[in-house]
Amino acid sequence: MIAIKGYRHGLLIVFNDAAQTPWFAHLRELEAKLDATPHFFRGSSVAFDVKDATLDEEDLRRAIDVLRTREIKLWAVISQNAETCARVRSLGLADRLTTTVAARCTPEQPAHLSEGARNSPSPSGEGGDGLFVRRRIRSGQILRHPGHIVIMGDVNPGAQIIAGGDIIVWGRLNGAVHAGALGNPKAVVCALEMSPTCVRIAEAVYIPRTLERGQRKKRAAQIALLKEQEIIFAPWDVLTHTLK
Amino acid sequence: MSNMLPSILNGHAMNEHTPLEAQVITVTSGKGGVGKTTLTANVGIALAQLGRKVVVVDSDIGLRNLDLVMGLEHRIVYDIVDYVEGRCRLRQALIRDKRVAELFLLPAAQTRDKTAVNPQQMIQVCDELRKEFEFILIDSPAGIEQGFQNALAPADLVLVVINPEVSSVRDADRVIGLAESQGKTQIYLVINRVVPARVKRQEMLSVEDIKEVLSTEIIGIVPEDDAILSASNRGMPVVCNGKGPAALAYRDIARRLSGEHVPLEIPQALGWWQRLFGKAS
Repeated sequence: MIAIKGYRHGLLIVFNDAAQTPWFAHLRELEAKLDATPHFFRGSSVAFDVKDATLDEEDLRRAIDVLRTREIKLWAVISQNAETCARVRSLGLADRLTTTVAARCTPEQPAHLSEGARNSPSPSGEGGDGLFVRRRIRSGQILRHPGHIVIMGDVNPGAQIIAGGDIIVWGRLNGAVHAGALGNPKAVVCALEMSPTCVRIAEAVYIPRTLERGQRKKRAAQIALLKEQEIIFAPWDVLTHTLK
Repeated sequence: MSNMLPSILNGHAMNEHTPLEAQVITVTSGKGGVGKTTLTANVGIALAQLGRKVVVVDSDIGLRNLDLVMGLEHRIVYDIVDYVEGRCRLRQALIRDKRVAELFLLPAAQTRDKTAVNPQQMIQVCDELRKEFEFILIDSPAGIEQGFQNALAPADLVLVVINPEVSSVRDADRVIGLAESQGKTQIYLVINRVVPARVKRQEMLSVEDIKEVLSTEIIGIVPEDDAILSASNRGMPVVCNGKGPAALAYRDIARRLSGEHVPLEIPQALGWWQRLFGKAS
């Protein structure tokens, strides 16, 4: 049983009964999970929690390869097993999830250094946990979370927001966003000022024409949602009607 | 959010004879050609003119320019790579600028590339310089690769230079994000080459536009000035003897950096009336 959680510093993949199941079976399950929603994971760096499993160097290398072919980087493996921890360190990976300088340098880190996020068991839907961020997201920064993401601040052009659930921007949305990235077509994107470079909801993509992009939108809060496989925009105040 | 941090712009040390605690200031931009080197040279000289002990460091290894702009090219014997690799003492690599009292240049090597020095070594070099100087100004290369990482590592304060145009602002946004992720909190903006008339015609971004995207405190606005080009070519930066608008703006930046409170003026385009009868009327 593999669970994907949002950790304060990025994504955490938890192998719940790692010691009871052979490692190759875990990897197969992981591959299936990653391939189901490749958009969500591509370009991320992740950490593993392998509980008390004993993993040798070969096991770890195989895991790294599985991730690498999908453009995902493994930066840490935490475990209660001392032997596994030693192997992890010998491969140059972190064996704890603290923000060391090395950890901060991984591409995932910059955007969420100081935000509090709790583990997120349900990827989306009501009651799913979220990541709350109170800052401006700058060009080149990526926020990625399996649950909802709420941003109090602007999302600059060149920034990316990827959420398993909804994305709420209390500010200007000028970057690229992907809501429902773990395959939830009911996810929505809301912003006080909606002028993104790209909106994705689950599998659907909407890219504004260059003309619209340059224009200054009226400052009216909008919601983007999926209707008959197409992304549509509506004033935010109809939120309650459309979600029924 | 940046205005919640203690800002140097509020002014603290008024007495120019009290020595300041050493400060490493990295001048960077992301985009090339926006005026980093010119700013480093001018602000360095202006700080020395205020009586501060200053060293300017060229971290653009392989493409050094700061020595040219300052007119010190012919005096280079050793450079930063010679020091890091143990071929000379730090004192030997420092070149004194005779135009002002306490100004030195630590030149980059021209024959090597950015990998000749690593961030850890830059921190060590700066720690050594801190013992002697009040201001250590590092001229960063363009880009966000190792040369930039080298220049950023030792910084106490980051000056991000931009021109009032979209691509420069976008690159600055990226650079500010990277600096923040390295734990830098003192980040200030210099808007360089502003032409008020073109801002008015909306051909250039206004200060307001830039603030809206970057939300970073502005420490200086430097107007476009024809004197800059010839000054750089002659190796005689404008603050040495110039009274033009750019020289004044550089001096204001130096005064703000050394703790004086100097209000920021946004240059305005002159109307026909003012052009006819002078600014005062």
